[in-house]
Amino acid sequence: MMATLEWATLAVCCAAFLLRAPDAVRGRNRTVFGILFLGTLCSVLAVSELYEIVDGVLGGRKLTSLILRYLVFATVLLVGLRLTRGLAAARAHTLIAGGIGRWVLGLSCLAVTVTFFLMGTYTSPDGLQGLAGGERNAALESYFAAAGRTYPVYVSLVLMPPLLAAVRSRLPRLVRAGALLVLLGAFFAVMTFPASFAPETWGGAQHFVNYSAALGYVVGLVVFWFSGLISNKSSNGNATLRKDRG
Amino acid sequence: MPLPAKAFQLWLHGVAPNESTADICRISGIKRTTLAQQLVRGKVAETTLVSISRALKRSPLDDLASFDSYAELAGPPRPPTPAELVSQIATMDLLRAVISRSSPAYGGFGDEGSSLTPALGPAPHATSVRNWVDSIDDGELRHRVSAATGVAPQNYSAQLTANRLSPELAVATARAAGVGFTGGLVATGLITEAEAGWPARARQAALNGLSDGDLTALAGERLQSLGKTLRRQEHEHEQTKKIWENLG
Repeated sequence: MMATLEWATLAVCCAAFLLRAPDAVRGRNRTVFGILFLGTLCSVLAVSELYEIVDGVLGGRKLTSLILRYLVFATVLLVGLRLTRGLAAARAHTLIAGGIGRWVLGLSCLAVTVTFFLMGTYTSPDGLQGLAGGERNAALESYFAAAGRTYPVYVSLVLMPPLLAAVRSRLPRLVRAGALLVLLGAFFAVMTFPASFAPETWGGAQHFVNYSAALGYVVGLVVFWFSGLISNKSSNGNATLRKDRG
Repeated sequence: MPLPAKAFQLWLHGVAPNESTADICRISGIKRTTLAQQLVRGKVAETTLVSISRALKRSPLDDLASFDSYAELAGPPRPPTPAELVSQIATMDLLRAVISRSSPAYGGFGDEGSSLTPALGPAPHATSVRNWVDSIDDGELRHRVSAATGVAPQNYSAQLTANRLSPELAVATARAAGVGFTGGLVATGLITEAEAGWPARARQAALNGLSDGDLTALAGERLQSLGKTLRRQEHEHEQTKKIWENLG
């Protein structure tokens, strides 16, 4: 079940990445392409088997999990900036790009790094998944996981109001569908924070929440892109000056 | 509620006993699959009946009235009120009337208008439905309609904004307002003015009956709401463009 989710997320990210590639080559909105690239990279590292391989190459000290957190932060930052600008949400944009946003990002990075190295001193070579290190390490693990969620949760919370407004607006249907998907992604991203403190037995639910968040964001972005792609025909059918008859 | 398929087939057999379904579809311009689907679902759209009735050179209004749910349409026809008639004149035609009543210095012909003023465009126009409801609304109409039909007020409003109203709701609205039933059916475009039995120049006569003040005020109201609609559309267009620029 977990493996399926991991691979499915990776497949979706790769598909989105490849679909978007031709437009990026033509120079259209490369930032969105960058987001999808980072997202794909994250989902590669989120697959257990691939993670093991990459981590092996990097020396097997679980450094990869730290890198993964940083990658997630970078992706989320770009998504936040683009979405708030696209949705013309000025307040949300300053909350992410302004002073508060930078502080939250800085503190999140610090928290992740500190918990990682605290944990590192207790970690055996095959450590993070909780075999060696005892109780203290187990607690640190959930703190590490939670610290890795802080920034995505913050950005998702900031994004929710403008996304909700877009969903409830009268914009074209596909645009609203994209906003709804990203909104779902944001909702699940927020849920990951409490989920990281959930007991071990809830592992399935934890994973479900994590991957739903990623999928929501990625598929939502693809839908936004697709809606723009097929919008060449103007769909302005109601009461215009030039066309007074319905 | 659309017409029950059984009653529809009975009616069809009565009015066109010798025609096959294929013939009916061909002369009325309805797709065979559309009709078949409506029959299978057991609900035939009023527009289907009207198209067939028209094609058979019958009266759509009378044919509609032969169904139980539209029985009220029979009986002596009640002519539309002047306000209803004026509501079915397009905004641009109202503005043209304002100008043509103005002094020649502004391109008008004085009080009486002129044969040079172009004829009114046919009903319905781009905001027919809302204007019709506004013309018969005493302030409580929407509440009465939603109480009588169980349709939520916001759904009703959404239909008006989209310039749509199901025939059933159009009839219910007319009933709640205490006016003739044809106004709503014309405003929604189900039947034409002629099919509704309106005199040929009824709308023009109602327009001529408006005082300069009333006409100008009405045209002003229409322009204001058109302006609102256009501004909203422009705003939405800008928003969408921005989304596509940043996320597309």
